[in-house]
Order: sequence, then C-alpha cells, then structure tokens
Amino acid sequence: MGKRKSQGAVLTLLASVLLLAACGGNSESGGDGQSGTDTGKGTDSGGAKTLGMMWWGPDARHEATKKALEIYTQQHSNVKFKPEFMAWDAYWQKLPTLAASKSIPDVLQMDAAYIQEYVTRGQLEDLSDIDLNGIVDPNVVENSKIGGKLYGIPLSQNAQGIAFNKEELAQYGIPLPKQNWTYDEFFQWARDARAKLPEGKYPIGDSTTWDGFNFYQTSMGKSPVMADGGKTFNLDKDLFMKFYNTYEDFRKAKIVPPAEKAAAFLENDPKADPMASGVVMTRGATTGSVSALEQLMPGKVGVVNMPIGPSGGGWAQSTIFLSVSANSKNKDEAKKFVRWFVSDKDAGEALGLTRGIPINPDIYKALEPSMQPQDKLGKEIYDLSVEKALPFYSAAAGYSEWVDTYKKEMDAVTFGQQSIEDAYAKIDKMGKELAAKAGGK
Amino acid sequence: MGIAAERAAAAGRGASARRRKAAGDANLAGYLFISPWLIGFLLLTLWPIAQSFYLSFTEYSLLSDPAWTGTDNYAKIFAEDATFAKSLSVTFLFVLFSVPLKLFFSLLVAMALNRNMRGMNLYRTAVYFPSLIGGSIAVAALWRNMFGLDGYVNQVLAWFGIQGVGWISNPDTSLGTLILLNTWQFGSTMVIFLAGLKQIPQELYESAAVDGAGSVRKFVRITLPMLSPVMFFNLVLGVIGSFQTFTSAFIITKGGPVNSTYMYAMFLYEKAFKHYQMGYASALAWVLLVIVALLTVVNFAASRYWVFYESDGGKTR
Repeated sequence: MGKRKSQGAVLTLLASVLLLAACGGNSESGGDGQSGTDTGKGTDSGGAKTLGMMWWGPDARHEATKKALEIYTQQHSNVKFKPEFMAWDAYWQKLPTLAASKSIPDVLQMDAAYIQEYVTRGQLEDLSDIDLNGIVDPNVVENSKIGGKLYGIPLSQNAQGIAFNKEELAQYGIPLPKQNWTYDEFFQWARDARAKLPEGKYPIGDSTTWDGFNFYQTSMGKSPVMADGGKTFNLDKDLFMKFYNTYEDFRKAKIVPPAEKAAAFLENDPKADPMASGVVMTRGATTGSVSALEQLMPGKVGVVNMPIGPSGGGWAQSTIFLSVSANSKNKDEAKKFVRWFVSDKDAGEALGLTRGIPINPDIYKALEPSMQPQDKLGKEIYDLSVEKALPFYSAAAGYSEWVDTYKKEMDAVTFGQQSIEDAYAKIDKMGKELAAKAGGK
Repeated sequence: MGIAAERAAAAGRGASARRRKAAGDANLAGYLFISPWLIGFLLLTLWPIAQSFYLSFTEYSLLSDPAWTGTDNYAKIFAEDATFAKSLSVTFLFVLFSVPLKLFFSLLVAMALNRNMRGMNLYRTAVYFPSLIGGSIAVAALWRNMFGLDGYVNQVLAWFGIQGVGWISNPDTSLGTLILLNTWQFGSTMVIFLAGLKQIPQELYESAAVDGAGSVRKFVRITLPMLSPVMFFNLVLGVIGSFQTFTSAFIITKGGPVNSTYMYAMFLYEKAFKHYQMGYASALAWVLLVIVALLTVVNFAASRYWVFYESDGGKTR
C-alpha cells in the first residue's frame, strides 16, 4: 500500500514538474507581448480625441516632449495625449510586438536605421501631403523619401563625429585632431599620442562593430557593406585585413585598451564611460548624443569629424523622424500634430535641442542665443562633418543578427580567441547567405 | 468530480434519471468553482503553448504573417547553428556546477540554522531575508558592481596587493561569477532543507548516540537518508530552474564576453525579441522543454538508487 501511494506521489510530482517547466519556458517568451494591448486606441467621442505618442530618448527629451504636448492641448482643447516613452533598446523591443498586434500609437518617433523596415511592412502612413514649405529644406524632404513618398517628418540635423578630451591632450602636449584628418593621419596621431600618454591611458578605443569598418570601407571609395536593401553584400577582404591588422598592432602597442577593459566600458555611465572615466582620450559621438558626454566632463570635450578617405567620411543628415501609424484612427489629427511639432514656436522652445539641431531654421535661430555649451558641441560636429559627409548607412532589414555576430566574432579576435582571417570567413559567409535570401524574395 | 462520480456509482445500477441529473448539476458546480483557474490555464498557458508549437514550424518575424516552413527550424538548430551548441554547452556547464554547489551550500546553512539556540529565529530571518529580493534585477545589478573591473571585490583584493581581473569582462571568469550568484541565492532551497531537517525524528539521533555513533556517522547514516526525498525535490527543481537562468546573464554580462555566458534562455530571448525570429525561438523553446523533460526523467530513474522513503519500510527502491 505504502509503495503504491508513494509511486502515485512520484507520478504526480513528475507531472507537475513537467508542467512547471512548460510554464516557465512559456512565460519567458510571451512576457513582453501583453504590454502593448492597451495602446493606440484613440477614443473618438465627439470632437474630443486622444492621440497616442511614443518615443525613445533620455530624460531631458521626455520632459521637454511632455511639455510640448501640454502646449498642444492648451492650443487645441479637444486633443489629449497618451504619451509613452522609454530608452532606445526598450523602444525597438516593444515596437515589433505593437506592430504584430496592429496597435502602434498614432504618432511615433522613427529612426533612419529602422524606417525602411517599417515602411516595407506597411506600418507607416504616407505623409507626402503635409505642407512643409518653409519648415523643412526641400532637399532634405526629398532625401528623406522612400520610394518617392515621405513616411517620416525629419526632426533634426544629426552627424557622426569624434569627441576628444581636449584638456588632457593639451596637458600631455598632444596636438588636437584637425578637421578632415585622413585615416592615415588618424592612425598616426594615435601612435604619436601613445608615446606621450602615461600608462593606463589610451589615445583611441578599439573597433569591433560593423559600422566602424563600414565607415572605413566607404571612405576608401568602395560600396557600403550592405546595399540595395540587403540584396547586395560586399565585405572587402583586403581593406578588412588591413583595418583590423592595424588594430591588432595597436592592441599589442597599448594604443587601444585591452579587450577585458574594453568589455567593461559603458557609454555615458559616469564611472564606466571610456572617455569620462579618463581612460581613453577619444570616442565616437553624434550631434544628438555628445551633450550627455559634455555633462559628464564639462568644458573638457572637443569634437572633430570622422576620419576621411578619398571619398569623404562620416555622415551628416536627419536620422530622427516623426511618423504616423498606418492603423491610426486619427490620421488627420495626427498629421496636423506632426506638422505643428516642427513648426510651432512655443513647441520649438519647449523641445529645445533635445532631438539635435531643429530641422526648422527659424526655430533654430530663435534658440541659438540661449544655447548651452553642450548644444554648441552638437552643432559643431554637424558643421565640421557636412562638407565631407557620406550618406548614412544603416544595417539592412533582417541583418540585426549579423550585426551581433560581427561584434561577437571581432570580440573573439580582441580576446585572442581567433584570427582575423577566421572572423572574416564567418562574417562574410553569414552576410552572403542573408543577401541571397533577401534577393530570393 | 471524483466525489460526485463515486456518489452516483454508489446509488447503484437503478439510478434514476433525476439522480443522474443531480450528479450532473454537482459536476457543473464543481467546474464553475474551478473555472477561474481553468479558464486562466486554458487561455494563458495551454493556448500559448499550442501556439508556440505551431509557430515552431514557421518563419515568423512579427511584422508579417507566419509562413509554414515544416521542420526547417529544427533542422537548422541541430545541423547548422553553432550558437545553439555553444549556448547549450554554456548552460550545461552552469547547471553542472551551480546545482550541486547550491545544494551543498544551502544544506550547510540549513544545518547551521537547525539548532536550538537563543535568538535562532532572528538568525533564520536574517539569513533568509536577502532571498526576498531573490533573483531580481537589483541583485544582478549589485553583482555587476561587485565583480566589475573597479568593483568591490577587486578593491578588497587590492588591500592585499592582488591585482584582480575584470571578473565579468573576462571570458574565463564570467560564467563563474554567475554560478556564484546562483549559489548565493540559496534562500528557498535552504528553507525546504530546514523543514526537512525538522521532520527527522529526534529519537533516531538519541538511540544512535546511545550506540556510540559520532556526529559524522549520524549525518551519513541518519540525516542524509532521511533527507533524501527533500534533497531529490531540491535537485529536480534546481536543475529545471538553472536551465532557465536568464536575469543574471541578461543584466550582468549580456551573454558576453564572446558568448562565454550566453545561456540558452538568453539565446532564445534574443532570437525572439532582438532578431524577431519568433518561429525559430519557439523551436528553441520546445527543444529546451524536451531536454529538461529528459533530464527530469533521468533524475527520477536515478532516484530509486539513492532516495529513501520511510513509507517503503526502510529500503531504497
């Protein structure tokens, strides 16, 4: 009897244990999906409307945007907002689930890196009929179009450059980087700076991400790594070997920090930021992001454009857009609001430079006299970059995993776990497979 | 339902239609009472499980509709995906070390807390207290600060003139820090052990002491066998839980450096919510379920050789 009873107990335990395992696995993969169900349902009661709006960014942007929304509600008493805001990573994790359940908020912020994908999937409304005369430069509007149609109103001018610690460079007698330096000059500058810096400090950071190399490849006159919406893939082997062999030598010569140290860096963290912690003298920065760095080390940051090659280098253009969901029930109201967002003086004042240099020249002029040092740096990056700028190249749709693989394989190189040649073979193989797949569709 | 059915049967073969109807009503009432749980289970657990099974045979990027691909996902997992093999080996390594370590450590603490001493309840509370914040993100963030390059651990080591490594940013030590964290989160396992220890009849120890048994002998001959069902329970749950470890890898190391802490659950998560390959991620989830189920069966099979049930009259089965 006792035996039978305990066998029964064991069976019950086994069954419940399997069930537990199933529950655990399931809640992990399904947890994020439910959060999006209550968004984007604009209630339509008479004239009163509620617009959902979603954006990513730092706290300053959140506060400024909420203030702008209040101003809009004051001016248009029938419109209320349901704002949702988060950090970059969370935003791009949440948006696909909202897209799957057709509940993207009426108005949403878009990035040049993703807009193509969402347009392809039919998630964004055509905004070509919004009159942007005198608000946005017609050339910029034309450049922002996808397939002849405008799916996002550009909000700001943005550019990629390099920030440097001007105080410490001067202290050690190292000449400051100059505008339009070439890659050769950049590498030589790093070698010379090494000789003057004390131990534990490094002139430049290591390079392990695809965009770092893509800058190099395109500046040397080659096509970008991904073109044609991902149907063409070209990772130039000669340039790849030359570029990463240079960094391999730099690691040995302590011109870049060791891999273990690099892995612990966290940008914009007061203690762990490569530059703010005083460990590395330079790092990449954009018009939109440099102000966060300046606030960590006030008065010490100088900027220069990306190193260039025969074709130029870096980029300078709009990368942040405001789009309207194709499934919105309040499209007209949303379009009206989007236009207001880039043209209203009060809105411009409330928003300041929290999304970079405002695209509307009138609003920028009104803000210029009261600009803070960190905002001037952003403008400086843009002004330095615009002359030699190449187009902004984003990873093509479906390449997010390749982007991760690229970094992991190059990390393995920096940790001495594999050769540059092996890393190239793996990255190149995966890229070509993705291109073949994109071409087959 | 069981009671109602028995009652209906007890009424004999000649039960009238009315009686049968009454039994049916009783059944209905029973179902109504459990319906909140039942509906929740069907809609929020069983249905998503069924859906994920279907999705595991498709390619589904969330932005477009699922496309049927047959067993392609599974074929790719086993034949081509080097990351699958890597993350599985990382996870096995993690389970292999963290489960025994945790069992050992929590038993040790449970034994220390199983004494009659003044203020013992206070000690028990104090030791268990950190478990209230258990596997949370806050603890993971704390761990990151402790084992970072300039973390507290290295600061303490520096007092002794030792230059510590970046425990988390070094591929050789990063998994170790996660195993340590998992071991440190011993609270609930320890409480179960403690309850088990309290169940062991005191007279066993007393009679053993009369026969001259020392404390080691008492532990090996009495405590371990009497505790084996509890140990088994903790082992099974520990293995299942460790296979699903996610928070620590996600918060502390992001699976890096160079995939050295790329746990299976983390791999699955990134496939689903970073690269939007929901079909492939679903297939991975089912593979995990099968692996965990197999290991659990193995655990149950092995248990007959070492788990001792008092109800069996003193023999391991």
